[in-house]
Amino acid sequence: MKTPDPREHNTRIEQAGASDESIQDVHAILAREKPEPHEGYSPMPLFVLGFVSAIIFIGAIYIVRHRAGFDPLAYDERYDPSMAATNAAPVKVDPIAEGKKLFMTCAACHQPTGQGVPGVFPPLVKSEWVNGSEDRVIRILLNGLSGPVKVEGNTYNNAMPAFGPGGYGWSDEKISYILTYVRQEWGNTGAPITPEKVAEIRKAVGQRKPWAAEELEAIK
Amino acid sequence: MASGTNLSESLNPATSSEAVKRAELSEIDASTKIPALFFLCSALGWILIGTIFALIASFKMHTPGFLGDAEWLTFGRVRTAHLNAVIYGWASNASFLVIIWLMARLSRSLLRHPILLLTAGVFWNVGVTIGIYGILTGDSTSIEWLEIPPYATPLLFVAYALMGVWAVIMFRFGKSPHIYVSQWYILAALFWFPWIYSVAQIMTIWAPARGTVQALVNWWFAHNVLGLWFTPIGLASVYYFLPKVLGKPIHSYYLSVLGFWSLAIFYNWAGVHHLVGGPVPAWVQTAGIAASIMMLIPVVVTGINHHMTMIGSFNALRYSPTLRFIVFGAVNYTLVSVIGSFMSLRGWAEITHFTQHTIAHAHHGLYAFFTMVMFGAIYYILPRLLLKEWPSAALISVHFWATAVGSLIMVLVLTVGGFHQGLLLNTPKLANTLGLQPGTDPVPFLEVVRVMNKYLVSRSLSGILIFVGHLAFAVNVVWMLLKPRSAEVTAPTLFRNPPEMEVVTR
Repeated sequence: MKTPDPREHNTRIEQAGASDESIQDVHAILAREKPEPHEGYSPMPLFVLGFVSAIIFIGAIYIVRHRAGFDPLAYDERYDPSMAATNAAPVKVDPIAEGKKLFMTCAACHQPTGQGVPGVFPPLVKSEWVNGSEDRVIRILLNGLSGPVKVEGNTYNNAMPAFGPGGYGWSDEKISYILTYVRQEWGNTGAPITPEKVAEIRKAVGQRKPWAAEELEAIK
Repeated sequence: MASGTNLSESLNPATSSEAVKRAELSEIDASTKIPALFFLCSALGWILIGTIFALIASFKMHTPGFLGDAEWLTFGRVRTAHLNAVIYGWASNASFLVIIWLMARLSRSLLRHPILLLTAGVFWNVGVTIGIYGILTGDSTSIEWLEIPPYATPLLFVAYALMGVWAVIMFRFGKSPHIYVSQWYILAALFWFPWIYSVAQIMTIWAPARGTVQALVNWWFAHNVLGLWFTPIGLASVYYFLPKVLGKPIHSYYLSVLGFWSLAIFYNWAGVHHLVGGPVPAWVQTAGIAASIMMLIPVVVTGINHHMTMIGSFNALRYSPTLRFIVFGAVNYTLVSVIGSFMSLRGWAEITHFTQHTIAHAHHGLYAFFTMVMFGAIYYILPRLLLKEWPSAALISVHFWATAVGSLIMVLVLTVGGFHQGLLLNTPKLANTLGLQPGTDPVPFLEVVRVMNKYLVSRSLSGILIFVGHLAFAVNVVWMLLKPRSAEVTAPTLFRNPPEMEVVTR
């Protein structure tokens, strides 16, 4: 048996060159540094367990208190959907107040006083058209009116635009508010008009050209 | 140490297994040298440029006429240029340096094809340069922290991808059987950054999400670029250099695990606290605030871990520059994060949101924590790359004291100033505290501006101090790069000689 050469596979002998002083000097910076860091395995202090539990508890309380029902539309963290449901009452709308706001549009022709302009725009005050049949006045609003019309003994020849389909596209509610307003303002005595009535006529008539006065007179 | 082999090792240190490890480390350090030096020099350049932008912006806050007719340097542009120069220029380049050097060492992996990595680094810096130029010429986007114009961002992303892949490859093919805690953080950050950056770019700039979702994505990114990119790199450095310089193990593996995973779970939620009080559903804000509260867990746990490691070795702070910077940064990490958790609370944010208080917090985190840790890391890394010692301990000392004192003054002044500003803006009945006539409530806006002036001037002064520190650092680095290598055994550049010289203890 051949005796193995002790120098064979002995890496240390190859490294002997590394003990050369000049190389050592150059690598002094590296040689003096402490070993690469490693972790100790001290157990976690008990305090940490208590601390982590406390923070999780506080975080959970915070979420529960400020969750605002996880409602995507709630922007106030104090919003509580259960309270909101019990507090909510049906919204009451005052048709007169709403109508007064909407009358800004009408006032351009009929004037804020409802008196109209003599010879051009008919008055609304005491007008037999305004105070008279619901069916007529709703149709005027919905589809408009053009051609000669006799109001309080004077004849006017102009065009009233449609506020319903094909015109301004106002909703049944808006038309009912504005009509209720003009029928009860300035000493007018017409009965209030409900959105349901407007809807009924809108459905019956649909979109059409403006009414002529004679056509309306044929309606009750 | 009693066996026969170890006897021969003790006789000739060069043949010890420790020496084999050192030789390996030396080879690894050498393989990272070219790209690492490139990242260091770019980082150094950007921090100087970024500080100059910061000073200009800061002066404009109390002297609006300063450079008022220079279109490129109006406040909106120069402040944005400052932000992007320090984030994408300084902080990211410093991060790349630390990532590459630490990853190579800890994975025991040679950096292969360093020239490719260098190319990626060049592309990154070209991207940042184009971006800053674009911002100065008025092309900035309106998304905070993502102001770099869209023609530069793809370059940044591709350059990053190459660098990230390089570091992951080093990790994958490294020889180390153990994954040290610093590697967890670095590896995680390497995946977190491209995730947040690409998602934020797409959802705010390329195909913007509508409405408040865009704001949510914006602040998710802006907060996470600190929390999931710079913080992990900073913590990885602390976890490495603290035990390395002290020569003892990190206190507890279990605390490291808890700290890492709680950070990974909670940080990513916390960004919404920037939108507290904004038009974002209340529960989303609540989730963000709760996550900010939960952030106390990783912060306190990590703080305990570092503190317990440090205990008994505080004396080392007197001589080791690396340790002094690292410990300063680590302490401020704990402080800034705890303050941050409180800042997210609705009652606190009500006062401090949109005031200088936020600016104080940003600098506390990115400067007093992250930047200081990076300085500490560089003081350790550079001698190993160049095999030279730092030329001047005095300059290191100037660097430390100027930046430490400067940043603390800035943080303190703006924290207090921000509170004052917020209270004056919120509470209409404070005119008497300013010595105004009763009846002038609410406090006129111009009075608030006048009150803020003294805080803003102090901030500028602290900025000058910090700039002096950076100059000292720059001089030291350039001097070190240029000076010849000593052929003799050299001693480390320390503030003073330790009781037992570091050289003697190997």
